[in-house]
Amino acid sequence: MAVASQSIAVPVRAHHTLWGDAIVRLRRNKLAMAGLAFIILLSVVAILAPLLTPYGFADQNYNDILQGPSWKHLLGTDQLGRDTFARLIYGARTSLSVGIFTQFIVLCIGLPLGAIAGYAGGRTDNFIMRFVDVMYAFPDLLLVILLSSVFYGTKFGGSIYMLFLAIGLVAWVNISRLVRGQILSLKTRDFVSAARAMGGMGRYITWRHLLPNALGPVIVSVTFNIPRAIFTEAALSYIGIGVKPPTPSWGAMIQDGFNLIFAKPYMLLFPAIALALLMLSFTFLGDGLRDALDPKLRR
Amino acid sequence: MAKEVIIEVNNLTKYFPIVKGFLRPKVVAEVKAVDGVNLAIHKGETMGLVGESGCGKTTLGKSVLQLYRPTSGEVIFEGKDLTQLSDKELRPLRQKLQIIFQDPYDSLNPRFTALDIVGEPLRIHNLMKGKQYNDRVAELLDLVGLAPYMAERYPHEFSGGQRQRLGVARALALQPKFIVCDEPLSALDVSIQAQIINLLDDLQEKFGVAYLFISHDLSVVRHISDRVGVMYLGKLVEISNRDELYKNPLHPYTQALLSAVPIPDPEVEGKRQVIVLKGEVPSPINPPSGCVFHPRCYRAFKDCPMIIPLLADAGGGHQVACLLYKGSYP
Amino acid sequence: MKPLLQVSNLTTHFDTQDGIVKAVEGVSYDVNVGETIALVGESGCGKTVSALSIVRLIAEPPGKIVSGEVFFEGADLLKLSQDEIRKVRGAKISMIFQEPLTSLNPVLTIGRQLSEGLEYHKQLSSQDAEREAINLLKMVGIPHPETRIHDYPHQFSGGMRQRVMIAIAIACKPPLVIADEPTTAVDVTIQAQLLELIKGISREYNTALILITHNLGVVARYAHRVFVMYAGKIVEYGTALEVYHRPLHPYTAGLLASVPRLDEPRKTRLLPIKDQPPDLIALPPGCAFYARCDHANDGCGSKKPVLMEVAKGHFSACWVAQKGLKPWQKKSS
Repeated sequence: MAVASQSIAVPVRAHHTLWGDAIVRLRRNKLAMAGLAFIILLSVVAILAPLLTPYGFADQNYNDILQGPSWKHLLGTDQLGRDTFARLIYGARTSLSVGIFTQFIVLCIGLPLGAIAGYAGGRTDNFIMRFVDVMYAFPDLLLVILLSSVFYGTKFGGSIYMLFLAIGLVAWVNISRLVRGQILSLKTRDFVSAARAMGGMGRYITWRHLLPNALGPVIVSVTFNIPRAIFTEAALSYIGIGVKPPTPSWGAMIQDGFNLIFAKPYMLLFPAIALALLMLSFTFLGDGLRDALDPKLRR
Repeated sequence: MAKEVIIEVNNLTKYFPIVKGFLRPKVVAEVKAVDGVNLAIHKGETMGLVGESGCGKTTLGKSVLQLYRPTSGEVIFEGKDLTQLSDKELRPLRQKLQIIFQDPYDSLNPRFTALDIVGEPLRIHNLMKGKQYNDRVAELLDLVGLAPYMAERYPHEFSGGQRQRLGVARALALQPKFIVCDEPLSALDVSIQAQIINLLDDLQEKFGVAYLFISHDLSVVRHISDRVGVMYLGKLVEISNRDELYKNPLHPYTQALLSAVPIPDPEVEGKRQVIVLKGEVPSPINPPSGCVFHPRCYRAFKDCPMIIPLLADAGGGHQVACLLYKGSYP
Repeated sequence: MKPLLQVSNLTTHFDTQDGIVKAVEGVSYDVNVGETIALVGESGCGKTVSALSIVRLIAEPPGKIVSGEVFFEGADLLKLSQDEIRKVRGAKISMIFQEPLTSLNPVLTIGRQLSEGLEYHKQLSSQDAEREAINLLKMVGIPHPETRIHDYPHQFSGGMRQRVMIAIAIACKPPLVIADEPTTAVDVTIQAQLLELIKGISREYNTALILITHNLGVVARYAHRVFVMYAGKIVEYGTALEVYHRPLHPYTAGLLASVPRLDEPRKTRLLPIKDQPPDLIALPPGCAFYARCDHANDGCGSKKPVLMEVAKGHFSACWVAQKGLKPWQKKSS
């Protein structure tokens, strides 16, 4: 029997979830949608690479070196006769996988560390954060280069997994700080106190209450981390300590193109544009996500 | 009709240290949020607690539930002193002690559905699953006047009053004996407040649950409470049965508080004399010496800055801590 | 006597993701010189939006002042240019906001914020402005004003900050002050202090005051005339005494009946108004209060009521009241 039956309450507005709301807002953002479209397109192209080009990325044809774009080679060839288009779309695999998979390492390290620091507070927090500060003080590119050169000597040097590790092990600091900040501010919210008052313990609260609500900025940060990782890979390959040739990398292609910049400018142009577009796409998407996930920006 | 005491608070203090320094942190000062409070709440009774911001009433409510760990003092419930129990030991007792918060939005996880929110106590204590769980939540929703089909909705889809009802439903899920109501009406519109007050009243009658009703709204407290305590700067300055307090306030602060509340009637208001206190509430870091109210008190005299008044019995369950009454002298 | 401010048929809408929020719909009220009127209503009724519309402080997307006129000192404020309205704000009509934390600039000293208005509107030199600022702080009861003008907002308590807000509002001695829930964020004893201060100042300078609040007690203590708002419209207005003792709208009556009073014997049960206020995006046809009204008859649900004078100087927008019936009034007065 309803005690307060004189006030049967009905919901106020049309049913919409917080995520659904965010998706609607994201869809409205044209740049973000364009970025997302490009990313999806490139991913499909990268996955279907063998179907899109008859050439392998390592096939050398000395008869056709340094050709300009033609019907035989859509984007021309490089100094070893390799088809540029093929190298470009196989290179996309490298860039995308580095961009995305490093984030798993970043999240595996950064999320728990940040969550523990934020929830535990006190000495634990202090300790973890000072460690993070120290990591932060190192210029990340240099640190990645250092790690890469160390790994290069080992047997799995030059493989893409080495790159995941090198970049991932440096990039997590951002996320940990972010997560910690989010958790610190969420800790004081009443719904967390309510859960404690009900008898909820630390792990339950962190897992069910704190982390889900901290996700928003984390998603945005990860989306911005991806182009950074992509660029780092390109930079490493550019200076020669990224993926080992013949594994294609846009960075290596830019290096090759740079040497021939006056003679054959298109060799530099194609990978450079591809890299720029991919990075921009993720950046626009990240911007769009940040606006979409900010509840205060709801009109 | 002597009812049994279910919660006894003895000399509760809660000080928040202010720590400065990094390598060797030192406590430089303390915020004396609650400074020696004694309370006894009986079964099925509503103890009202009034005071203005900074008086410590919210801190007191949270300290009783061990959401803040008291600095000293005891909280006796079911024969056990809660302050001595670890979080793990408190867990089973927490089923009987609940809290309703002030902010109806902040107290609900925005990513939980109403079903999740109201059923959370059942889940945390692993009490029910499946159909039994859903049925119980539907029952609770109905109890607070919400249609059960709304269990799928999210907090932002409800109005403030409805969210507060969710908070009440959640607090009732485990059939508690005692609920701390921490300013449950302050964030609600006037016309909705009355709905929630009636709801709390009805639920108390039905389930015999005791409330510690914390509020700054004296009119509401008068309506719902059996006994009322007045707090100022961490101390309980007056406590009495409800009617007695409002008819015969003894402490100058209580008198000023009552006079400051405007009454919705221009004719009555035209004839009233408002006691306007001078100054502001001092900081609880550095409370005034002797009686903490003396700098603002319009009846202070020479003893007031020097002697801390004790809660003295003024007859009929009415206690006051003011040197104007001989009993308050130590 | 011609009123100081005349708001005429003001309509303000907000364009949101879910639809158009009709925050204020055809609202009219007036303030006479030196008078204190109250705009009473609960959250979402449109009282704050109507006041912000007067001084054109509505953010233009998503808000829009759709129609209406606001006559003040011979001009329609809604038709003034940006420059002209800026000269009015602060000098002729000033506002006291609810939350002093967000209405004061945290990086400017109090003195600076006080002098700003004085220098802009009265063209005072900075020394004169500073001297006047000290005077103002003294007037609002802030001790040691000479040193305090160099302090920042966070160094003041909530009650003090509101006093500073009041000082800023009266700096140029405007004929009209709009106080939007000025004491909602402070304690009851501080509220008493602040309101007595405002009352004293308005008496001394003959300032008219629009007091926006949901607190029926505050209105009873300080307002001469009361305008009750609900769902973006004014549903009743008259003198405070009339409206409180002989309410002519079931909403007003319901509000008064649902609030526990310190001077009356304790009721065993409060009489709340059932359900909740309507969604301003999807307003029902007919009276907005119909769903919650215990005294409605059939016509109420389909025809929107209009404000009419039901008793002398006492207007109501209720079909039932306009028929002369007052079923919510128990005592016959």
